[in-house]
Amino acid sequence: MSTTPDKLVERYLKHLEVELDDLPRDRRREIVDEIAGHIVEARAGLEHETEADVRNILEALGDPADIAADARERFEVEAPTATPYKPGWIEVGALVLLLVGALIVPIVGWFIGVALLWISGAWNVRDKLIGTLFVPGGLGLSLFLLVSAGGGGSSTICGDPDPKTGGYPFNCSETGSSTSFTHVLTFALVIAVVVTPIVTTAYLGYRLRRQPAAATA
Amino acid sequence: MVDAGKQDALLAQLRKGTLQYCVLALLSDEERYGFDLVRSLAETDGMVTSEGTIYPLLSRLRRDGLVETTWRESSSGPPRRYYRLTKSGRAALDAFKAEWGPFRDSVDHLVERKA
Repeated sequence: MSTTPDKLVERYLKHLEVELDDLPRDRRREIVDEIAGHIVEARAGLEHETEADVRNILEALGDPADIAADARERFEVEAPTATPYKPGWIEVGALVLLLVGALIVPIVGWFIGVALLWISGAWNVRDKLIGTLFVPGGLGLSLFLLVSAGGGGSSTICGDPDPKTGGYPFNCSETGSSTSFTHVLTFALVIAVVVTPIVTTAYLGYRLRRQPAAATA
Repeated sequence: MVDAGKQDALLAQLRKGTLQYCVLALLSDEERYGFDLVRSLAETDGMVTSEGTIYPLLSRLRRDGLVETTWRESSSGPPRRYYRLTKSGRAALDAFKAEWGPFRDSVDHLVERKA
């Protein structure tokens, strides 16, 4: 059996989830779960499932946008603004400053980015929280951590200075496996701290471009 | 000559006010799970265009306390959420029925007079 029907269903549910974005989380979950259950029931009733059968099931359920419009009306949730939000300098400024603001003007640059992020109407609260929390300072923090790890950091990585010479040991292998574990951990942290702000910025950029996609079925 | 779009909009308007009572009515004798409910509604001409819209409606009815739900194991697949009428659901259905009969008669009387 081809995996295409599964893919179709997956895509449909994903699309539905996106369309229901404005609904409170528990309601969105309930509706998506119930519709997923509906699809399972409908598919279970088929003798020999074909891709056409699955497409018919999804088409009978209806366009996710229609279901979402209906759900918004049922729950008296305001519809999203009719004209899609057009990203302007506030959004561009927020994205740039969140990522590299702290490199341009230490600390302050990032805070301006956060202010722009929260002023903008282009993101919802969840996106804004993500933008603020991952990672405060953006790449400025990454640079700061990299510098402090590279400079004074060797003492924490390689253990205490040699009591006889007062210097730091060149070879850290003697201090045992816990040290190499610390190495790995530090490396992972550094990577995470560099990658996370970039991923967050990319995500926020993606959310800016996000338009309700065309019907799946 | 009425164009098809207007006809659809008219049906949608009529459905809007009545669909939830049709759902309550389907639950008046027995509890049902979502798929079963949708199937029954879909068999009745004109009641649903997008089957998926029943689920926001069910969710709303549940939150308004007109229906309650129980999960039950199914012999053929994952557990099903069964919907059942509550006391206030039954009261709402009875109130609708009391209004609907005379209302339908009035409309019939008016629209069929000249026909």
